[in-house]
Amino acid sequence: MSSVIEESKNGAESAVLALHKQFLDADQPSADLLPFNKKALDIFESLKFPHRKHEMYTFVNTKVLADTSFSLKTENSVQNSFVKQHIYAGCERSHLTFVDGALCPELSDATALGTSVKIGSLIEAVKDESFKNILQKSIEQENDVFASINSAFMKQGVMVKVSRDKQVEVPLQILNVSSGGDSGPVMTVPRAYIHLEPSSELKLIVKYVGDGSNYFVNSVQDMVIEDNATLTHIQIEADSKDAWNFSKNRIFLKRDSKYLGYQTVSGTRLVRNHNEVWLNESGAEMELNGVSVLEEDEQSHQFVRVHHEVENCTSHQYFKNIINDRARASFDGTVVVNKGAQLTNSDQLINNLMLSDEGHADCKPNLMIFADDVKCAHGATVGQLDDDQLFYLKTRGLSESVAKEILTQSFARSIVQKIPFEPVVKELDETLLKKLVANNE
Amino acid sequence: MLEIKDLHSAVEGIEILKGISLTIKKGEVHAVMGPNGSGKSTLAKVLSGHPAYEVTSGEVLFQGKNLLDLSAEERSLVGIFMGFQYPVEIPGVNNAEFLRMAYNARLLNEGKDEVDPLDFDDILQEKMDMLGMEDKYKERSCNDGFSGGEKKKNEILQMAILKPVLSILDETDSGLDIDALRIVADGVNKLNGDDNALILITHYQRLLDHIKPDFVHVISGGKIIKSGGKELAHELEAQGYDWLTTAN
Repeated sequence: MSSVIEESKNGAESAVLALHKQFLDADQPSADLLPFNKKALDIFESLKFPHRKHEMYTFVNTKVLADTSFSLKTENSVQNSFVKQHIYAGCERSHLTFVDGALCPELSDATALGTSVKIGSLIEAVKDESFKNILQKSIEQENDVFASINSAFMKQGVMVKVSRDKQVEVPLQILNVSSGGDSGPVMTVPRAYIHLEPSSELKLIVKYVGDGSNYFVNSVQDMVIEDNATLTHIQIEADSKDAWNFSKNRIFLKRDSKYLGYQTVSGTRLVRNHNEVWLNESGAEMELNGVSVLEEDEQSHQFVRVHHEVENCTSHQYFKNIINDRARASFDGTVVVNKGAQLTNSDQLINNLMLSDEGHADCKPNLMIFADDVKCAHGATVGQLDDDQLFYLKTRGLSESVAKEILTQSFARSIVQKIPFEPVVKELDETLLKKLVANNE
Repeated sequence: MLEIKDLHSAVEGIEILKGISLTIKKGEVHAVMGPNGSGKSTLAKVLSGHPAYEVTSGEVLFQGKNLLDLSAEERSLVGIFMGFQYPVEIPGVNNAEFLRMAYNARLLNEGKDEVDPLDFDDILQEKMDMLGMEDKYKERSCNDGFSGGEKKKNEILQMAILKPVLSILDETDSGLDIDALRIVADGVNKLNGDDNALILITHYQRLLDHIKPDFVHVISGGKIIKSGGKELAHELEAQGYDWLTTAN
């Protein structure tokens, strides 16, 4: 590494260290979490901000982000009416609202969930030895510098635990509102721990919205899904135009458990989703779907690592990006089939639809297979609208612009329609798909 | 209704149609037959306005107007329907919604009001009942994952919805089993009347047992080499195309 890079990194990193000092002095972090905060800061120092050739950030330029000195938001306020419009139908009595990463009890209502779901803060959660171990391990083994920053600054967070054998009928919504930085850029660090006990089920909707601008949401979610449990996780990123949103999801799957993930990005300055999935016991299944609709200079980056640790597990990944103007999208996904993970069934498909000549898409679907009896497939496409489809629609009397609109929408819709929660599908039909209509006009 | 005069057409600089002339009147059914690579499908594509097929010379008049001046969607709007040999799959586009959009495009063009999904559903249901089609044709994406026979049935459903003046069915029979063929042919017969006309492009005489043509034309080497009544189709079936092509 050249000394120039070293030097500039030091500047960015010392800003984080200074911010952390301030955090320790002024923000009164919890005594229970403090050792974790400190450990995470050590990890941050050893990881450092990514340089341009960093394996995990090949396609994402984080220089501007790293060079921005953020402050931490302490005063949080947001209008009740703003929150209300972002609570989905069916979640009126099962939602938790976080403003700038802190739970707002007066804007939350979880009464419909009953006793089968336990909700608490991470301060409470670390009193449990098993969670403490998970947290410790994940902080010590952290490989992503931004996630280590989250851990270094985590304060309260949220723990959601579904009791054994409980199939929660009402969906739980977590709404992350960023109120933005009025006097300079701010960073927030939402942190969640989701735990499904054996044979339980939960549908979790996590939505990110901004009621202001100039902010960086840097979130981490750890999810443990025990034997025969199913977690449906719908993540909607609808932040303000100039926001950064980095999200790390760590998912641990046990025997016969299932994770169904859906991630949508409707366009922000820079979105990066880091998904790390461990299929740790036989019969575990995971599916991860994503769709991004980007225009102007928006960016959406997916970084996925799926670890098939044992035999008989299944993983499916399906991502679509629609890229207009100078927007950029990337997919960097590796499926690791470890020795002994026989009868693995895994596939990965990324489709990019380019609507302009200046847009940019990078794809790196990757397979690392150390077992010999597996079924794995991966593929990626980058293309424009299909001429045969266009012609077919035109022969039915539809104009060129309508035909293009239909085809662009259908490209996104094939993912949107898979989302197993109607209010989100309806909302995306309006937001994502309307954005496409506007693009075509 | 349709007058094709000495039509020449090329794809990527290679001339495929080398002077086709054909006149079609209201109420007539014309079968266009010929060996593979003779130019049958090219004729269909040229008439429907495919951008890859360049008309190098000749003229096509539809109801007295120059058809070649119109884009593919304009040709559809004035009443020309092309039934594709290989209907295109459009995943993510609901078939019923697609049919409604096509139907409304036609209405708007005629200066009429669009119909809403509920009213359209009645129209669609009536046509589907007529063609003996199941509800899945409404629910699924357009041609997506349809079998060959289902795709062809869906073409005929579109024809029923759009009520064209002139339909050009390009190898609608190929790949169909006998039951599917009968259903498709029955549908076409129900839709065809005295006010519209039909061009059936086919490789096999079999279709013509179900849809009786008034005229049969044989294309070979980009030209019509023989025209006749429906008995010509039987001769072709019995003797193949060789006796015609070698004679020329």
